[in-house]
Amino acid sequence: MCKDLPPLERAVQFHGHVCPGLLMGVRVAEFAQKHLGVNQDIDEELVAVVETNSCGVDAIQSILGCTFGKGNLIYKDYGKNVYTIASREKNRAVRIAQKYRDINSPESIRYRELNSLSQLTDDQEAEREDLLALIFENTMSAPFEELFDWQDIDFVFPEKAQIRATIRCAVCGEGVMDSKATESVEGLICKACLLAKEG
Amino acid sequence: MCESNVYIDRAGHEELLMESVDRIIPAEDGSIFMESIFGERKVVKARIKEMELVHHRIILEEIDKQEAKEHDQEIWLEPDTDHGHFHAGEEVVLKLSKGYNMKPDHDAAYSAIEAFAVNEGNVNPVHIHDHHGSKEINLGQEADGLLQIYVHEHEIRELYAKVVMEIGHHHHHGLKPLGLPLEIVPIDYSHARMGESYEIQVLQNGQPLAGAEVKVTYASTRSKDYPNRLTTSEDGRAKIFLSARGNYLFSVTAQNIISTFTLVKSF
Repeated sequence: MCKDLPPLERAVQFHGHVCPGLLMGVRVAEFAQKHLGVNQDIDEELVAVVETNSCGVDAIQSILGCTFGKGNLIYKDYGKNVYTIASREKNRAVRIAQKYRDINSPESIRYRELNSLSQLTDDQEAEREDLLALIFENTMSAPFEELFDWQDIDFVFPEKAQIRATIRCAVCGEGVMDSKATESVEGLICKACLLAKEG
Repeated sequence: MCESNVYIDRAGHEELLMESVDRIIPAEDGSIFMESIFGERKVVKARIKEMELVHHRIILEEIDKQEAKEHDQEIWLEPDTDHGHFHAGEEVVLKLSKGYNMKPDHDAAYSAIEAFAVNEGNVNPVHIHDHHGSKEINLGQEADGLLQIYVHEHEIRELYAKVVMEIGHHHHHGLKPLGLPLEIVPIDYSHARMGESYEIQVLQNGQPLAGAEVKVTYASTRSKDYPNRLTTSEDGRAKIFLSARGNYLFSVTAQNIISTFTLVKSF
């Protein structure tokens, strides 16, 4: 039988490509696993609160198993590369924040410059590939504390995801979770129909 | 009207290649894809020489085949599997390619080639056969263990290609050099993973070769030439960080020999 994919490969497969943001997420996920002494989540043993919706979150989902679908990935739209990973079993949580840097490395600056172009020549593609290889090695080999600040924190665990009944929307006829339906003159209706009514 | 007629310049003589072309996409391998408004499609080995947009004319220039072979050609082996190893009882098939920088030259000709499989010191000749225009080695379903397979071609230069294949599991013991005149040997055979370093040693007639240039590439590279060049240390060693998915190819040249080693990633 084939073994499970290593974490990095899992993250790349899930995300679709290698990029600096994903690699930072891989470092966070691997650190959190080691620090908390936990494995990949199966059924909400872990909770991740992410304060960004950038590439690194895909590493959190694929390596830690805290996923949008399971409800143990909580997204806060703060635009910050900050991740709180908590273990219900260990009753522990760690908050990990990417360090702010005034000056980016020349390879990062050039990489972003190339990434912002709508079309790259073959030579530029090759240059971007070389830059990514360099960033990759630097990111994976840098001491964790050089890239991130982290601290153990008290954490109030959210309730596990609830399975709710599905009712029929009185307007469109499609199924909707009962807790998400709204009372109206037509009866219980889904949010999409409510918004359409409100214009 | 935005479409153009495409002409190709063959030794100073222009020939109409396609009429009413509305789409041209240059590819990395030096070929050009074109499509007309009538849905006709063509791929040609050429470069764009001139675009006369007012006259709706695009002139291509044929690429000299010799130009595409400006580098020394080498041979390499890759397994016909996408996950780096074969399971016990699985048919073990390897592909032999000739080209440069893991870009096969499909028109390449082979002269006298021979292949061998080495398992725990036992050397067995294996057959290389043609399969839909390419070269393959089929070790059948009986192979098992940590096998080293190598191919030798007597050309203008001596070409060697070596690969280590894991068939079944739990074969992570050390590997002995095969004794090729020029050979790349993995220092510590184990599952090589992206995001980790990998070290090799270059041996010439069994002795470490110091100061040799080892070129390293991978299948997905967009680079026309090898993206990495390492220099071996006093004891013939060189190390690279594996930043790409898929298999890696190491290549070294000394005197009249080009020798390659394919690192097959396990995932």
